[in-house]
Amino acid sequence: KLNIGVDIIQHGVEGLVYLLTESSKLMISEVDFQDSIDVLGFSDELNKSLLQLYLDNRKEIRSILGELAPRLPSYHSLEWRLDVQLASRSLRQQIKPAVTMKLHLNQNEDQTAQVLQTDPATLLHLIQQLEQALGEMKMNHCRRIVRNMK
Amino acid sequence: ILDDPDLKDIDPTVLKHCHAAAATCILEAGKQKADISAISACLEDCKLDKERIEQFCTEYQRRELVTVVSFSIGRSPLHITDVSWRLEYQIKNNQLHKTYQPSYLVTLNVESNDSGSHPDVSFSCTMEQLQDLVGKLKDAAKSLERATQM
Repeated sequence: KLNIGVDIIQHGVEGLVYLLTESSKLMISEVDFQDSIDVLGFSDELNKSLLQLYLDNRKEIRSILGELAPRLPSYHSLEWRLDVQLASRSLRQQIKPAVTMKLHLNQNEDQTAQVLQTDPATLLHLIQQLEQALGEMKMNHCRRIVRNMK
Repeated sequence: ILDDPDLKDIDPTVLKHCHAAAATCILEAGKQKADISAISACLEDCKLDKERIEQFCTEYQRRELVTVVSFSIGRSPLHITDVSWRLEYQIKNNQLHKTYQPSYLVTLNVESNDSGSHPDVSFSCTMEQLQDLVGKLKDAAKSLERATQM
């Protein structure tokens, strides 16, 4: 319909894609974007459309690019249950409390579930350690870094 | 026992049988948590004299170590022994710059009965996800506490 060769259209599309992804990746400002495309010598109207295209789509492009980054399995949820072992083949008449858990993790769109168990003492230790971890975010050191790195 | 000078004169096969018999007796009695009177009655039925029965019972009393070992034998899901965590602040990756995202990396140290191997479970999570995890662990701990008060 456009009466132009396939090659030219392909290059055009690739060029656009490159322009938008690089700009979104670097999160460049409007001014910088305009300066960059001015060099290309297009009409003002075209430059305006390109800028609008960039601003409209950059959030979505960034979130897609974010998916491509290397990732460890990430936490999804945790189910737990209280068990008491009453007997085993080697010993009768026990009372052995345990907490059985199912940890759901996401890895690259697959969900895995792992069954784990722990005893009451370790459970309390886990809670204490992880609460300390949470507390770190609120410490001055972290706050200062987060503030200064924007 | 085979090296004991006092037992030198006895046929080693007989010695092995005796040792096995005594060990099995102690293990079975311990497994059922039998008390002294039950064991004495049992040994009397086997026509053992009073002195021997008394000696056996005295030794049996000292079986705490055996009970501890029996207690820990048995299959269970992977057992959590410890947790380590790391708080990091991501600035950029090769797909996306200016990410500015704090995240936690949590590793659950896990011990398995079977091979003594350590298949640790690691995952990343945001602060909110870690709060969710800690909240759930605290629920489990609270319900443990309530169970012990029943």
